[in-house]
Amino acid sequence: MMYETIADLLAAAAAQQQPISELIIEQEIKLSHSSREIIWATMGKNLEVMHEAAIKGASGAGVTSATGISGGEAVLLKKYREKGQSLSGDTMLLAMQNAVATNEVNAAMGIICATPTAGSAGTLPGVLSVVTERLHLQRDDQIRFLFCASAFGMIVANQAMIAGATGGCQAEVGSASAMGAAAAVEVAGGTPEQAAQAFAMAMSNLLGLVCDPVAGLVEVPCIKRNVVGAVNALTAADMALAGLTSQIPADEVILAMKRIGQNLPASLRETGLGGLAATPTGIALKMKIFGQDVSIHPDDENNDSARES
Amino acid sequence: MTNRYRSVFDIIGPIMIGPSSSHTAGAVAIGHVANRLFHAPIKTVRVRYFESFAQTHRGHGTDYAVIAGVLGFDPADRRVPNAVDLARRQGIEITFIEDQHPSPIGHPNTAAITLENAEKYLTVWGCSVGGGAIEIRKIDFNGLIFEPQGSLPLIYVEAEQEIGQALDQIFGANYRLPRVTLMRGRHHIYQLDLLDKPFPEQLEQARRISQDLISL
Repeated sequence: MMYETIADLLAAAAAQQQPISELIIEQEIKLSHSSREIIWATMGKNLEVMHEAAIKGASGAGVTSATGISGGEAVLLKKYREKGQSLSGDTMLLAMQNAVATNEVNAAMGIICATPTAGSAGTLPGVLSVVTERLHLQRDDQIRFLFCASAFGMIVANQAMIAGATGGCQAEVGSASAMGAAAAVEVAGGTPEQAAQAFAMAMSNLLGLVCDPVAGLVEVPCIKRNVVGAVNALTAADMALAGLTSQIPADEVILAMKRIGQNLPASLRETGLGGLAATPTGIALKMKIFGQDVSIHPDDENNDSARES
Repeated sequence: MTNRYRSVFDIIGPIMIGPSSSHTAGAVAIGHVANRLFHAPIKTVRVRYFESFAQTHRGHGTDYAVIAGVLGFDPADRRVPNAVDLARRQGIEITFIEDQHPSPIGHPNTAAITLENAEKYLTVWGCSVGGGAIEIRKIDFNGLIFEPQGSLPLIYVEAEQEIGQALDQIFGANYRLPRVTLMRGRHHIYQLDLLDKPFPEQLEQARRISQDLISL
């Protein structure tokens, strides 16, 4: 009834000679009792929200969060890009700018599309902006990119997790990056097998990434982690298109991510108690934002009993 | 494998006001469930947070998100960040509690939302499982307790007469778990735990049997 593994997706793609985006659209029609037109239009609306957020974050002086600890940096990237002297080249700078812009809008309580989460909302727009420019994608191709990404994301969400509180940042930005890598391969004309390879390599390269938001806010380091998510996706897609392979199959990488997530202490799963959040500056920022009545105990990091029953 | 995510729009989406899909959009969704199940004027709201929700609700806007849901807003509503003030201006009394105990429903992103007026109370224990998706694992309808397994869709129907078999005929093929029936006096309350979203025609048909139907 549902594609439960990436192996299932690849087998169906081979048997039906259909791209993964098409397989998932057909699954959605069956499960949601909606028409193809409605489903396509809904994804189109998500695409528009993604475009709008990326533009908003990099326009004028940009946006600033209520706490003042993030904002305005997408604009710095845009201005730097315009000088044309970046080290990583305009393509990467475009991905970086759109990733930061989207997550700055999110931190500023603007409207975004969660892909798969709000904290990782900048990763896919970063990837999509680059493949759109490099491959001259039309709107329909961009919508297909999102469907293909969602097919891989749904398998991660059901087989493992996509929440920082249960799996760390590897489950959020790691998943988004892997979804983006696979979708980039499909719109670039790669095979479903290559898409799965790109997915596996992108997720492998972000395994172990912790969720340690300063003051519990989706700002530091979340915004810039979307840069690594977007850039990592593009490099994984290129590796797969060049013929590199992961050795470890995508489905096994997902289960490795799940086990790592389960083994992370609670302090590194979106509690704002460990990692960067527990540094002297992280704690000082939390005090400054929320005043004196804060309870942060860096010792908790070594003191993690199994909190989930 | 749980298959709790069954739509592409659980993954690409929701469109929402930031900053967190689990702690903001998911919190709106749990609040929304409480709003729909209570469906009566609200006098007080008590929100009890556990684990990650208890540690980070302030930073993630979880407070305004839960209250936005309780007021019936959707996650992309521009009024979401002002929901607490809006509710208090309507005379609703609101309390947030950071509970230091482990989540009673076994998930780090747990909120228990209690709505109350002079006639009745309702408590919903929900958890936000990521990307804006939620599970409802316990509901206390004024003393009647249901413990669904978590995943939506769920349907609650109240009726004076016995309508269990009629509901089975409409929804039975789509049951994920057997129907649960609890009784308050002569009132029957039914819980239907479904595999897939019901068809609109099915809901219409069921509402002809009892208007008092809430589809989550």
